[in-house]
Amino acid sequence: MKALSALDPLLEHRIRLGACVLLTRHGELTFARLKALLQATDGNLGAQLRKLEERAYLQSRKDFVERKPTTWYQLTPDGRSALNAHMAALRDLIDASGSAQ
Amino acid sequence: MTDVNKLQSDLDYISNTLREDATAGGIPALYFMWGGLIAAGFSLPDFAPQLAGIYWLVAGIGGGLFSWWLGERQSRRQGVKNARMAQRYGLHWGLMGAAFLLCFLPLLLGRVSPEMGGANFLLVTGIGYGLAGVHLERPLLWCGLLMLTAYGVLVLLMPPYTWTITGITVGLSLLWAGLSRRAALRAAGDAA
Repeated sequence: MKALSALDPLLEHRIRLGACVLLTRHGELTFARLKALLQATDGNLGAQLRKLEERAYLQSRKDFVERKPTTWYQLTPDGRSALNAHMAALRDLIDASGSAQ
Repeated sequence: MTDVNKLQSDLDYISNTLREDATAGGIPALYFMWGGLIAAGFSLPDFAPQLAGIYWLVAGIGGGLFSWWLGERQSRRQGVKNARMAQRYGLHWGLMGAAFLLCFLPLLLGRVSPEMGGANFLLVTGIGYGLAGVHLERPLLWCGLLMLTAYGVLVLLMPPYTWTITGITVGLSLLWAGLSRRAALRAAGDAA
């Protein structure tokens, strides 16, 4: 099916997809905030975010919030367009499965 | 699990994540602060009109800057930096500030009575807070509706001490919005 091949394998993981959706909605989020919202463990979230960063889907910066070191994440333009394409493929897939029933 | 089931499960997980986000909503301290500032400031024209101008110059600008600082601090503490939302807040309250300044114009030119001028502030505040409730923070919707109701009462009955009544109405409705917001935040904290 065409819609299946259009899905981005990197965004098929629920934590990676969730992180990208949240960053699209909020702009910039800390690691701690993403962890709380996605209900993920430090290790799992860190590994998934690193994969997204390696593909330049998101970028991070270090900062201090009330003297505590904090990492902030935001989507890059590449990440945004990849997410849009993935969401469009998901919609096509849902539409196709609806018409097949 | 089949692919379709996995997809459905992933989509449910994402939508639950978005639903559980409790960052939207106002800061109770700001509601309390503006409730106090407005109640005191709107009472001045009735009791000490010579102080009203200087009060609003200091309280308006100082309160605005403090609100911006507190919002920024809260946002950093929560780990969310939403530039688009910050722009919406800035535009909304900036437009309200401009509308407030325009409310002074008919008063300065003597085109309306001081009583009607006071009521106009309540009308503008009611619309501003009501729309903030629609687009920014839900507790402000009920606050705005209460102010608009008070405006109707003021215009129909024209009681004495219009400015004071206006200020106290706005102050009480903001106090109520702040209390309800604080209760919602505590409930969200308890549930977490």
